[in-house]
Amino acid sequence: MEVFGQLAGGFATALQPINVAMLFIAVVLGLVIGVLPGLGGTSGVAILLPITVFIAHGSLPGSNATTAIIFLAGIYWGALFGGVITSILFNIPGEPWAVVLLFDGFPLAKRLGKPGLALASSFVSSFLGALVSTILFTFFALPIALKALEFGPAELFAVFVLSFATLIGLGAEAPMKSLAMLALGLLLAAVGFDTITGEQRLNFGQTSLLSGISFVPVTIGLFGIGEILASAEEQGIGFVENISAKLGLRDVFEAVRELRKRLRLVLSNAIIGFFFGVLPGHGATAASFLGYGLARQYSKNKENFGKGEISGIMGPQAAADSAGVASLVPMITLGIPGSPTSAVIMAGLFIWGLQPGPVLFIQHPDFVWGLIASIYVGHLLTFILCLLAVPLLAMIMRVPYAIITPFIVVISIIGSYSLNNSMLDVFITVIFGLIGYWLRKMKYPLAPLVVALVLGDSTERELRKALIAGHGSPLYFFNSGLSTVTIILAVVLVAIPLIRTIRARRRGAAPPAAAAHP
Amino acid sequence: MRPYQVATAAAIVLIAAVAMFDSRAAFNPSAGTSPGDVGARWYPFWAATVMGVASVIVGYRALTTPQGTEGAFAGARSLFAVLKLAVPMLVYALLIGGIGFRTTDFTYRIIPPFGFYLATALYMGLFAWWLGRYKIWWVAAIMAAFPIVIFAVFEIGFRVSLPKSFLYTSGVLPF
Repeated sequence: MEVFGQLAGGFATALQPINVAMLFIAVVLGLVIGVLPGLGGTSGVAILLPITVFIAHGSLPGSNATTAIIFLAGIYWGALFGGVITSILFNIPGEPWAVVLLFDGFPLAKRLGKPGLALASSFVSSFLGALVSTILFTFFALPIALKALEFGPAELFAVFVLSFATLIGLGAEAPMKSLAMLALGLLLAAVGFDTITGEQRLNFGQTSLLSGISFVPVTIGLFGIGEILASAEEQGIGFVENISAKLGLRDVFEAVRELRKRLRLVLSNAIIGFFFGVLPGHGATAASFLGYGLARQYSKNKENFGKGEISGIMGPQAAADSAGVASLVPMITLGIPGSPTSAVIMAGLFIWGLQPGPVLFIQHPDFVWGLIASIYVGHLLTFILCLLAVPLLAMIMRVPYAIITPFIVVISIIGSYSLNNSMLDVFITVIFGLIGYWLRKMKYPLAPLVVALVLGDSTERELRKALIAGHGSPLYFFNSGLSTVTIILAVVLVAIPLIRTIRARRRGAAPPAAAAHP
Repeated sequence: MRPYQVATAAAIVLIAAVAMFDSRAAFNPSAGTSPGDVGARWYPFWAATVMGVASVIVGYRALTTPQGTEGAFAGARSLFAVLKLAVPMLVYALLIGGIGFRTTDFTYRIIPPFGFYLATALYMGLFAWWLGRYKIWWVAAIMAAFPIVIFAVFEIGFRVSLPKSFLYTSGVLPF
């Protein structure tokens, strides 16, 4: 089995002292980022991205690009776990994927007086979900990458179109808003020099825009500054619930007993979460809600949901963590990010001089298998740290608003400036922070914008290469069976919300998404 | 929510119209450099068109379907909570590089560049004093501690050079 040999090599890389040390630091940072309500996993990874340039180029003894990706991914694993702590103890979700834990996690902690059990249940199910997903990742990644090596421009363009279609067809927000955000991302990606003809476009005479709009400052703005403005507004309204944070061994054993009773639910949600996470643009948040819905649907104790039911914690957590890991699969194998966070990690690969996609498996197997092995190590480390450090992590919530909020802004500014030493990037961050805050209020999804911004250039390049190869004929896209099927699938996915709307109208009711927000 | 939804959709339509105008050369028959190439303007033109059409539909739906009666903000308190963060953040970003304007042969400075460290000290101090209501020596400690720690971590540790102030250029401060 080639995979086992490659994985053993990956473990040898991941367990090098520098990689373990950076993974530890990253997981701690990720846990802190996850706990802070104004700072999410995506913005945390984006803010720390410039630091990885120095890590990747060997500023630390023994560090290289593998250390950098292990560091970035470690932040994500930490944030995946850390976000739930504040949901359960303070009724404030630290991350979007932890919102669902307000339904049963907080009631179990407060109403039933079992905060330790609520936290332990969340951690054990997250760990198992991530483990299942990482095993699937290990065995699926190589075959997908090897298949993708055969793709030409038509197939690649069709896969990009399919990923955009999933953002529109399966998104939680109104499809027209998703489409507008997607097109905005493609438009922003087109600013500056055209990569094929070298022509200037959309720069309106500004030389500073010739190199285009950087992805990182936009993401830090949309997710970092945007989130902190949203949490400032909640601070203006809000009231913070507070439960003491204690997690004993007894809680862990009880959680493991509860997990054994729900093993089928957790495993099936982990597998579903994996396949859901692979779809571009969805990631952990959508999977957490799907996991909660499935847990409730198939539970014999439906009436207990919303009152502290443990299945309402374990179901979504297994799905969310599984999807979080899975969102890296299309990024590594196809060069298509599965979530905004993996889009930022993918931007990191470009910055370090690597090309995400199937060629990575051939040219840099140490990098890919080191990353895969580090997911196992990273989750084990995160799990242990969570069990040991919950009281310390909960204390972060007690750092005053007047210090933590401006500090996050300061860190965001450092992150956006230091990538290109550009004040323009600082202003882009601030402006996109305000835009992101407003778009979020108006229920425009930000994931399509971010994914389209990072994929915009590649999509245009493959489209034009295919058209040149086909002498301008769009029929070239239907020459291969794979691209034909992929394009048909994309059309079906985009048609789903349309069919839903027509059906709802026939029944005489307004379509759910449109009724809630046009 | 209706006016806010319609105004947001209208703003996106406006951006789309500007981008479409900039990319109008998409219809030039000699756009591409190779046979079959659609040229540099084709892709942004159609991205802008899709964005504009989608936003027109969003705006139309906002006008014709029932909308929530609540405003964009939960009340004056939540609006001020956002402004209290947004306005100092904008001023902070402007202070780092300074405020001025440039003619063909001279740059006029209204406010000199405060650089990252001085601007951060002022920004952190403002929040500690205004929102935190800390005693003055705590405010002073915060103003000193944060820039020094950031200098040690980024400038010395990671060798990330952040913008320096006018006092650095005149040799008064190390940042």
